[in-house]
Amino acid sequence: MIRFVLRRALAAIPIGVIVTLGVFALVFAMPGDPLRELAGDKPIPAAVMAAKRAQFHLDDPFIVQYLLSMKDILTGHFGTTFAGADIADQLRLRIPVTLKLTLLANAFQWTLGLFFGIYAGFKRNGWIDKSLLLATLVLLAVPGLVAYFAAQYLFGVELKWFPVSGVLEGFPRSYLLPALVIGVLGFAGLARLMRTSIVETVNADFVKTARAKGLGEQRVLWRHILPNALLPVVTFIGIDLAGMFGGAIITESIFNLPGLGQFMFQAIKFKEGGVVVLLSTLAFISFIVINLLVDLLYGVLDPRVRNV
Amino acid sequence: MGVALGLALVLASCGDGKSADSGSGGAKSEIIAIAADPLEYINPLNENGSPGIQVAMAMFAPLVTTDPNTGKLLNVMADSVTPDKTSQTWTIKLKPGNTFQNGQPLTAKDYVDSWNMTAEGSNAWKNNGFFSKIEGYDAMNPPTPDGATPKPTSVKALSGLKQVDDLTFTVKLKVPFSQFGLTLQYLGLAPLPEEVRKNPDAYKRKPIGNGPYKLAADWNAGDDIKLAKWDGYKGPNPPEADSITYRFIPNADTAYNEFLAGNVDFVDVPSTKVKSFKTDAPDQWVTSVSSGANYLVIPAWDARYKNPKLRHAFSMAIDRKAFADLVGLAEPAKGLVAPDMAGYRADACKYCDFDPTKAKQLLQEAGGFSGSVNINYNTTSATGQIFAEAIGNMLRQNLGLDVKYTGKQGSEITDLADNRKLDGLRFSGWGHDYPSIEDYLTPMFKSNGDANFSGYNNPALDAVLAKGDAEPDPEKAIAIYQQAEDIALEDMPLIPLYTKSNAYLHSNKIEPRVSKYTGVSALYATFK
Repeated sequence: MIRFVLRRALAAIPIGVIVTLGVFALVFAMPGDPLRELAGDKPIPAAVMAAKRAQFHLDDPFIVQYLLSMKDILTGHFGTTFAGADIADQLRLRIPVTLKLTLLANAFQWTLGLFFGIYAGFKRNGWIDKSLLLATLVLLAVPGLVAYFAAQYLFGVELKWFPVSGVLEGFPRSYLLPALVIGVLGFAGLARLMRTSIVETVNADFVKTARAKGLGEQRVLWRHILPNALLPVVTFIGIDLAGMFGGAIITESIFNLPGLGQFMFQAIKFKEGGVVVLLSTLAFISFIVINLLVDLLYGVLDPRVRNV
Repeated sequence: MGVALGLALVLASCGDGKSADSGSGGAKSEIIAIAADPLEYINPLNENGSPGIQVAMAMFAPLVTTDPNTGKLLNVMADSVTPDKTSQTWTIKLKPGNTFQNGQPLTAKDYVDSWNMTAEGSNAWKNNGFFSKIEGYDAMNPPTPDGATPKPTSVKALSGLKQVDDLTFTVKLKVPFSQFGLTLQYLGLAPLPEEVRKNPDAYKRKPIGNGPYKLAADWNAGDDIKLAKWDGYKGPNPPEADSITYRFIPNADTAYNEFLAGNVDFVDVPSTKVKSFKTDAPDQWVTSVSSGANYLVIPAWDARYKNPKLRHAFSMAIDRKAFADLVGLAEPAKGLVAPDMAGYRADACKYCDFDPTKAKQLLQEAGGFSGSVNINYNTTSATGQIFAEAIGNMLRQNLGLDVKYTGKQGSEITDLADNRKLDGLRFSGWGHDYPSIEDYLTPMFKSNGDANFSGYNNPALDAVLAKGDAEPDPEKAIAIYQQAEDIALEDMPLIPLYTKSNAYLHSNKIEPRVSKYTGVSALYATFK
């Protein structure tokens, strides 16, 4: 098991280099001068531009800029953004915000998805199953941007059930509305997958065998059907959790949650390669860790793939 | 399992919630929404636009300001600002008895040292460029070719800045400049006290100002900025509010919704709500007279556009009324300066009326146009493409031209234009830093102007501007600057398009100050 974890960690290093280098190259290739974006419409004198360029190594060739950024990340000397914010401070403030949002949204999504999926799987073609199919089609067709603003207007401005935006009311109140919208928009896919998986498992030979042996329905459900039906769902959840970071860029902007998504958006706007790479590295590490956990969880659920 | 994990973390982090509070005490308090990323520091000398200057305006005071009722200059920290006969050397006397918020008296030395610090290029403070008019700037900032690292210099002070006594200093300019007194109302020239000058980084989040408000609470990254009235401020017409909270909401539509929910007292109307704000918040909106002027830029580096008659043909083929309606809250432009400037003439432009017949005739006289007209638009602006197509359709229908469109990021368009490589037309706008028509003409039309978008160069116009700069009488100076505007309209490097108002929403608690001369101010709102 430890060897398995170590092997995975080592394999992540070259992938990490490729990812960070690729992301840095993409930001580098974005058209326009980064400092110009910072200046706005007003002209900035040459002396100031030159001093700023030197401060942020913008005159250096691409590969030197990349190596300097990686050195800062690996040694923990994050420095400041172009706009003057202390990056370590920003991370301290922003990581909890994104974590709270992501975990709450996932809690909603998993609860709804697993509950409806399992229920629909056992009661095939019942009204829950049929409404679930309809809801899936409708929800998948709603663009997030529209849904977020509509929910904000309806539940925040008109009904005043939730704060409109910001984190002033703290956790969980400030996070409830965005997390609910993400959860509701995202649960349908999970529920469909869960349903299909249940349907397949219920009809599998080993379930029939278990019943034939005379096991009780509860035991069949908990020990035989669910662990097997959950296998594909666990993979889906792992990828989904890691992918939430991308979605956070839009959600955090609309609900004014000062998390990593907003930070990423600013960094891309200002073409701050260093910050984009730092955030990508964080996303990459969490992706690797989550995937590792998923694989370990697989072993718990399915002895056939247990890693020694 | 996942659910259990999620909920456990949810419960574990429950304790850190802050309860909502609506700004700190005080009978007259207001919350102002700012649709921008949160500020990282407050230092007026290192800010050259909104929102930094907007917040600094509450905490710092300028030397002089424009009287919102009369449009005349009013002394704030200055007791007098006097030019010599040639307008080249200016003597600034400070009022006695003013202090910084740390109790230290405000002296001429504070101004001289703060300005020298900003003029030092290696500090990379954004208002460095302001001091380029002062004698000795070039010695401190030796001209460097583009891209090269600036040579270090030992010169740490502007030779043109001299302290005379505790409350008096003189400014010697490189060349006479009659408008210099007006430029002193720019808040980006506010002084910093000695302890801040010694270590500005340590005071990024605890500014010490000389203005009507001071920080009411610690201001950490991610916090609202909470200000309380400072009773040491002795300037004229102090604002009414006892406390002010600035709340940063980067998404403008979200900020607008926060207003509709009643959570903030003042918000800018975003461009997406221009058509709906009057019904969304009836009786709770105000508009400014103008926020500068907007143009279509003709590249001087493309010979096909060289003939002024062709430029006039383009101008007269544009239906400005229809275009302004499309923009919303806009008026057709009739000259190169904003309508709220002293010296604005509603009939300045002779080629800005919509007249397709005349336009066709002018195009013919100019010998037609070869190839297609390319219109560049900013893809990061919600309206860029719509505006480009509107102008393109007018040129196509009224002049029979072939038109194409190129969408690029704003900063890329600016970059290409600066390198004189941009193909075709683009949009641009300008708002003044100080209320003088000179602040439209010099930046955009002088051959070495800071914002010479079109690469325009006419020695005759430069000479007229220099004459205006040397004219001490304000009325006479305006008349001379108007001649420069006439030259620019004949050559037409920029085609005037529209002037736009800004709209703002305010709660029933406050009435923002609306002035023909200084625009809309929430800081100076009155309370009902």
